[in-house]
Amino acid sequence: MTPAPDPEEAQAAIEYCYAQGWSDGLPLVPASQPLVAKFLATTSKDPDEVIGELEQVGRNCTVYLAAINAAMAGCLPEYFPVVLAAFDALMRERAARGGGWQSTSGPAPMIVVNGPVRHELGFNTQGGAFGPGFRPNATVARAIGLIVRNAFGIRPHVLEQATQGLPGRWSICLAENEEESPWPPFAVDGGLQPGTSAVSATLLRTCEFVDNRHTPDPGQVLWDVADTISRTGSLIFRDTSAGVVFCPEHAQMLADAGFSKQDVQAWLIEHCGRTGADLRRAGKNGLRGIARFADADTSQDDTFSRILPSPRHIPIVVAGARNAAISMVVRIFGEWSGTAGPVGVSS
Amino acid sequence: MPYPILDPTGTTATRTTRPPRARRRRDLRGATVGLLVNTKQNAAPFLDEVGRLLIAKHGATGTMARTKVNFAAPAPDDLVKEMTTGCDVIITGIGDCGSCSASAVADGIAFEAAGLPAAAICSDAFRVTADAMAELRGAPGYRYATTPHPVAVLTADQVKERAARVLDDVMNLLTEPE
Repeated sequence: MTPAPDPEEAQAAIEYCYAQGWSDGLPLVPASQPLVAKFLATTSKDPDEVIGELEQVGRNCTVYLAAINAAMAGCLPEYFPVVLAAFDALMRERAARGGGWQSTSGPAPMIVVNGPVRHELGFNTQGGAFGPGFRPNATVARAIGLIVRNAFGIRPHVLEQATQGLPGRWSICLAENEEESPWPPFAVDGGLQPGTSAVSATLLRTCEFVDNRHTPDPGQVLWDVADTISRTGSLIFRDTSAGVVFCPEHAQMLADAGFSKQDVQAWLIEHCGRTGADLRRAGKNGLRGIARFADADTSQDDTFSRILPSPRHIPIVVAGARNAAISMVVRIFGEWSGTAGPVGVSS
Repeated sequence: MPYPILDPTGTTATRTTRPPRARRRRDLRGATVGLLVNTKQNAAPFLDEVGRLLIAKHGATGTMARTKVNFAAPAPDDLVKEMTTGCDVIITGIGDCGSCSASAVADGIAFEAAGLPAAAICSDAFRVTADAMAELRGAPGYRYATTPHPVAVLTADQVKERAARVLDDVMNLLTEPE
């Protein structure tokens, strides 16, 4: 039998990592050359290849640095291609390349995993989709947070200026429940073939549940979703973007009533919005360019303003257990690029 | 210990040379004041008023206002070039968010390197991130002007009052030798 590791050595190594300022607040796995070599062996990419650059802070991330951070986050080496695909997906998002990581809104990446890799690596595709409890989901998301902190140097209270941040900032990695979804996988919306192991990502400002389990009428469920999407609190520009992570029960109810994903998106584009009077009450009825401001003008009080400009502004994912009709509205920071990337293939 | 614990930051080199600081003018008489507006709420009227006061009280002859479309990123090279050609001093701001405060300071440093005295204006809630950016750009201790937070909710009259209050600091930044 292998002797148990020396806890005092382990504790000293963990404290060393804290002392360097590398931690997100939780203990890190100290990364060593042999461990990181196992990560690098899972990809054909050169360790020195730059996979992300943040021009405004003059920093970049190489495959090697990503591997160290993934190891420290608690990933197994075989998760590394998913970490790379997730990071790649995020770097395609305009908000993440711009000032998103520094923003007062403190946005969280939402990573969506599709395809066979979900089961190969043991991602949770069922209940508790937003976590916690499952190593691949938890550590892939955490790896991204550590890359931003360490490789890009965006640290809280310094270059990161989140006013309150949001729960789950470095922990949202959903594996879509494709088996119980009535619709094509999310990665197909991102331009890939069904059955591809793929990762999509965007930035969120928060999530809000829609608990609607007492109606058999899909129209009522959609009204409930629309009401949640249409809150004034999240409206800062003329348009907004809000995804829906449907639970399997809601998705199946909608599909049984004949709604494709595109039908749901079209319904929400039509019905999400507020009247001028509602917006004025919240000081958001005026428009200066695309930014909302408080305007005393009451002439638009009776006008209904739609807020979702296109289907790409309402990404739809199916996740969670089939045990209750509870879905989640996710509020997107900026807008989703509309792309998915395959796992293990250079972009 | 057989293996060292690996560093996840990739930072080893530290810059030793300070970026250049533009030669200061004695005053602003006859100067064209460049206003680099970052689109944050109230930034345009705030900088316009600073420009107006520099003309009225300090003899500047005019202003040239340009808008930076992406407030989070440093000003693009062609914009820096255009303003460097057309202006004598630069005012940039208002740094009033996580990324734009840092980038307002980065812009100030870029204009200094291009030979123009610059004054960045940030909300005082963002000093730490502005200072961190200065350090990243190899200009630790870079001086900029601050105005009390918040800026976005100010009325038109309050914006004018704020502009008047920050004017001496802006003048000092543009004319005082280090």
